Amino acid sequence: MVDTAVFRLEGVTKRYGDLVALNNATLEVGANEYLSFLGPSGSGKTTLLRVIAGFEAPESGRVHFEGRDITNVPAHERGIGFVFQNFALFPHLTVIQNVGFGLTHGKSGLSAAEVERRAVEMIELVGLSGMEGRGVDQISGGQRQRVALARTLAMKPKLVLLDEPLGALDANLRSRMRNELRAIRERLGVTFLHVTGSETEALAMGDRVVVLDRGTIIQTGTPGEVYDRPASPDVAHFLNRFNLFDGQLAKGSFTGAFGTAPAPRATRADRDVYAVRYDRVKVLPVSAKPEGPALKATFIASEYLGSSIMNFFDAGHGHPIEMEHHLSLGAPDIYEPRQDYLLTWNPEQAIVFGREAV
Amino acid sequence: MESRIIKPALGVYVALFVLFLYGPFVVLTIISFQQGPDGGPQFPIIEWSTYWYRQIFGLTPPSRIAPLPFGEALIRSLVLALMTMVVSTVLGVMSAQAFRRNFKGSAFVFYLIVLGMMVPGVLTGLGTSLLANNIIGIERHWYTTAFATHVAYTFPFAFLVMLAILNRFDSSVEEAAWSLGVDPWTTFRKVTFPLIFPGVLSAMLFAFTLSLDEFPRTLFASGRDQTLPLAIYGTFSVEIHPNIFAFGVLTTLFSFALLSVYGILMAMSVRRAKKMAMQEDIA
Repeated sequence: MVDTAVFRLEGVTKRYGDLVALNNATLEVGANEYLSFLGPSGSGKTTLLRVIAGFEAPESGRVHFEGRDITNVPAHERGIGFVFQNFALFPHLTVIQNVGFGLTHGKSGLSAAEVERRAVEMIELVGLSGMEGRGVDQISGGQRQRVALARTLAMKPKLVLLDEPLGALDANLRSRMRNELRAIRERLGVTFLHVTGSETEALAMGDRVVVLDRGTIIQTGTPGEVYDRPASPDVAHFLNRFNLFDGQLAKGSFTGAFGTAPAPRATRADRDVYAVRYDRVKVLPVSAKPEGPALKATFIASEYLGSSIMNFFDAGHGHPIEMEHHLSLGAPDIYEPRQDYLLTWNPEQAIVFGREAV
Repeated sequence: MESRIIKPALGVYVALFVLFLYGPFVVLTIISFQQGPDGGPQFPIIEWSTYWYRQIFGLTPPSRIAPLPFGEALIRSLVLALMTMVVSTVLGVMSAQAFRRNFKGSAFVFYLIVLGMMVPGVLTGLGTSLLANNIIGIERHWYTTAFATHVAYTFPFAFLVMLAILNRFDSSVEEAAWSLGVDPWTTFRKVTFPLIFPGVLSAMLFAFTLSLDEFPRTLFASGRDQTLPLAIYGTFSVEIHPNIFAFGVLTTLFSFALLSVYGILMAMSVRRAKKMAMQEDIA
């Protein structure tokens, strides 16, 4: 990774007044890598992209790109593409003028005919052939997204920053655009840094996932690593796949609302949290006497998600306990609303955080 | 019950409003068609005629009433208004652009600019003329000292218009242009300017019309050669003939023509603004 790194951040810090938007961020990105940035709003992920693009200057730290220190290079000389959440198309120009904008007015040195050829090629790449002459107000949201992408890719950047580019699209378009982004990346060999607020998107798209919280990078790893071994309770929380229980870790056991369960391989954290993935929870009749953890809870409702069913239980501590049943594993059990059940799981599969752990 | 009182009351109010707004112009128009050269600026109309209009353009036989000495004054005023319009609009766009970023002392600079439209005009004019005569020691002219006061007066209007426009401007389109390798100056010309053009048009209109009929500042600062408002005022001190009213009608028509051009250009660029608004809706 180090040898092929196209891009490196070294201890980048950015403040807005008293607010630390980015705290000592260090990161290395390899050629042709797809990096997802995940974090709640205000976690500094957009700031990170804006610093990389050159729209904001960091207070301290360096930004390297293709072996060059670009910390003080203005945005238009960086050669880094940026796709905005609101697309930021030029409303007074047509589709083809938008796509050819950088080639026409930048330092490409291409003739008008060459610009047009490249623009047409890019429009074809994103599947908008035939729309060249339309105004950007005459196309749909998904098409605008493609224009924004084609406009950026026309400059042949080695690095493209995507700032929640799929956020404004409906679910259907979103998954289609995800596939297209992947295909484009295969074809053009571009490094993508993709900021997203959706954990599904982050896990689905990234070769690696970078999790941010309050301006700090709190975990970097492959989607599998992040999903299976979240580095902290906060990461587990953002992934939106875990029931989190407060309690106490002592002598290799965790005591919480569900009783005491063995926790031999706890991860060190600043507080004691017990995490159980939604699809690891089992539901038993209230009369059952399971071994291990058991939590009495009232069934509230269920949500049909297509490939699985999400059941919500109230165990009397604020947020509901969620239990996911994958339909590929068979028909779901039917639970009675307002009935009590016993929730249990295999403690081996739980992820435990604690101050006591090493 | 309420609307039975309030609605007619509001109707009367609007009627009065329109009366006060256009009443003077209607009277002016009627008197401008007075018979000439013996008819004066009073009712009743002795006989309807276009004598005074013809007199303005020198199409009537010489009489005891001298033609209005407006030719040169009109040209001076138009040139001055154009110069003021260009300089104030450029300054207004540039300074409003500067205010998009917070800089040290921005509040102070803001009030400094706005002061130009707050200070009583006579004081500005008098001060400028004293400054020119006694301190710097230069001659006063409509295209030097008066021009300066006109810019100081209209620049704040252009500035405020542009400030309002740029306040709502989504800077991500500019950042998008930079990220495509386009330098900031080209970005301004090719992206920012076309999008803020409706505002620029309004700023231009403000500066032009305010300068065209500026009186108190020009009175002291313009020196020997008079601008149109000063020349008109000068004729009042002798004797008033309906030719002044005919001239007033013509300048008003000119203003309407100007407004129509503005309206057409505005309608053309509103289409653009709508596109931008639609794009913002998506975000």
